[in-house]
Amino acid sequence: MTALRDLIKDPSAAELELIARYGGFAEDSRRERSFKAFAMSGLPHRRMEAFKWTDFKAKLKALDGGKSGRVDPFAAVAGHVITVTPEAITGLDKLPEGLRMVTRDDGVAFGASEDVPMGALTAALTEQTIMFDVTATPGQAIRLVYQGAGAALFSRFVFVVRPDVELRVFESHLGGASLNASLVRFDVKARAQVERTLIQPSALGEAHAITAEVQLDEAGRYTQTALAFGGDVARIETRLVHQETGALAVVNGAYLAADGHHIDFTSHIRHGARACQTQQRTKGAVMKGGTGVFQGKFHVPRNVGQLTDADMQHNALLLEEGAVVNAKPELEIYADDVECAHGNTCGALDAEALFYMRQRGISEAQAKAMLTEAFIAEALEAAPDAARDILLQTAQDWLGV
Amino acid sequence: MAGMLTLSDLHATVGEGAEAKSIIRGLSLEVPAGEVHAIMGPNGAGKSTLSYILTGKDGYEVTGGSATFNGEDILAFDPETRAGKGLFLSFQYPVEIPGVPVMTFVRTAMNAQRKARGEEEISAPDFIKKSREIGKQLNLTAEMLKRPINVGFSGGEKKRLEIFQMMMMEPKFLILDETDSGLDIDALKTVSDGVNALRAPTRGMLVITHYQRLLDHISPDKVHVLAEGRIIKTGGPELALRLEKEGYDGVIGEAV
Ligand SMILES: Nc1ncnc2c1ncn2[C@@H]1O[C@H](COP(=O)(O)OP(=O)(O)OP(=O)(O)O)[C@@H](O)[C@H]1O
Ligand SMILES: [Mg+2]
Repeated sequence: MTALRDLIKDPSAAELELIARYGGFAEDSRRERSFKAFAMSGLPHRRMEAFKWTDFKAKLKALDGGKSGRVDPFAAVAGHVITVTPEAITGLDKLPEGLRMVTRDDGVAFGASEDVPMGALTAALTEQTIMFDVTATPGQAIRLVYQGAGAALFSRFVFVVRPDVELRVFESHLGGASLNASLVRFDVKARAQVERTLIQPSALGEAHAITAEVQLDEAGRYTQTALAFGGDVARIETRLVHQETGALAVVNGAYLAADGHHIDFTSHIRHGARACQTQQRTKGAVMKGGTGVFQGKFHVPRNVGQLTDADMQHNALLLEEGAVVNAKPELEIYADDVECAHGNTCGALDAEALFYMRQRGISEAQAKAMLTEAFIAEALEAAPDAARDILLQTAQDWLGV
Repeated sequence: MAGMLTLSDLHATVGEGAEAKSIIRGLSLEVPAGEVHAIMGPNGAGKSTLSYILTGKDGYEVTGGSATFNGEDILAFDPETRAGKGLFLSFQYPVEIPGVPVMTFVRTAMNAQRKARGEEEISAPDFIKKSREIGKQLNLTAEMLKRPINVGFSGGEKKRLEIFQMMMMEPKFLILDETDSGLDIDALKTVSDGVNALRAPTRGMLVITHYQRLLDHISPDKVHVLAEGRIIKTGGPELALRLEKEGYDGVIGEAV
């Protein structure tokens, strides 16, 4: 155990617990690689550039249990439910047609280990990676429901979506553990389409690390819509690669952070093939004592990245004094024939609009709520019909409309 | 008759601290129920400022005098409470609110006002019926009423939308701040018809304008000249005609 313990310098109680968990696995070179990639930094902290605003180490001191029993906002969405708890994964039988499952008890390599420490940790500590070969469009959406009390929840799914197949996934990140870490991978083959919609309700007392890897082949399409309320610390990280020409990615999300909540949207999108499109729209609203973080990067290499069409927009509202938003939009463009745009704003609600509404009799609180809802709605528009209204309603409940 | 709206020796500043600028300087005015008063005055005289003070906009501070509405100190209430009590401002520059459709907005506002007065909400069918009728009267199409408030509306359309809201809400006291500017001749007529339809013994109106042409349609009971933050002259409709002919310089010079 001493050797393992030495992997992380001055480990915290939480890190010791993570090391112990790793020690419980049989020897496995891929698991080891992932864990070592994580151990290089330990729980990521503010002295690391990619985590300068999101300090897991400071916020997640011990794994002493979260708060279970949250209601699933997607409960009414039709789909095949797979429930992931710290103890077990249920719903893997009677899968919809078109889905074939392969489980792997050994470690499965995680390509971005070095850059995504929380993803590497999840890859290392997930007991059984569930892989789905999606060979025909399933008659039902897949609903992944992450929940349950415990110290930590690690899970990993891989979806290989075959050419021309359409897959719809809804994720409910209900928390319940001190650390809720999930990893999902979508291999979107030629002309296949994936719609991923996720919700992460308020999770004070908990940490969430929600990581996705996406690879798009020729003319593949990927649409992601996320609505997150954060927790002690929460990061929704998306790493997407346009691997073949003509692919389209829509990566949208909204965060609503109340007092004490921290929510981070981080994305890295690589235009590794010609003529691919990315549309990214992130909106946020933060109350006093809350923190929102947006880090977005478009990487467009020379040659292969030609004819890229990409747009990154992040707009945040500081609802009260004492709200914090940190944003870092980055365009790293080496190709010359591209259309790349980005916008980044952060400000208060329009005082003129507020007065106009109040002059008509609408209370200040309701006027603020209506304006905020209108502000973030755009980031939820691309969600499938069944979920869009729920996302809006959940946002309204938070705003008290 | 006692004023429905009574302003006496009102003083107000805009801005804060050393930046504070005195705009309203000893303004007195009385509008009895059932009457329509016009306020005219040069640019920058403080007409819009007065309308904002009466409706409670942030950034203005009343430093002296009083304003009562039906006997109550109106300045003590927040803007939404004043609206609930029946004070309506047709803005000189209506504000665009992206993402909030007209119909949602108007219905929310009407119900908020009704709630404040302890009345029942308007039913969906009644609301739709009423909005159709008034929309038709003002040449506002159903498509326009589905759009976000004032977004993509022309100048004249924005003014008609103000009147649409006014007719929907049936306020007790109307302040029209240059509602006529930007309106074409036909729209001026429809808007005036709408305003005239609301004339009632229980309702008061303050009409801020630069032009006689609006007053041709809405015959005011009284005309006040506001200059340098005060009412410097009050008269009947003939005062507006004189202003139109002689300009403010003559009239103001004579009053000072
Ligand atoms: N927020 C503000 N900050 C500084 N000065 C202001 C502010 N609001 C109004 N003023 C000034 O107060 C004066 C009165 O403005 P107001 O808008 O009330 O004029 P008005 O009589 O409505 O003019 P107009 O006929 O052009 O509409 C002007 O000199 C204006 O510049
Ligand atoms: Mg004005």
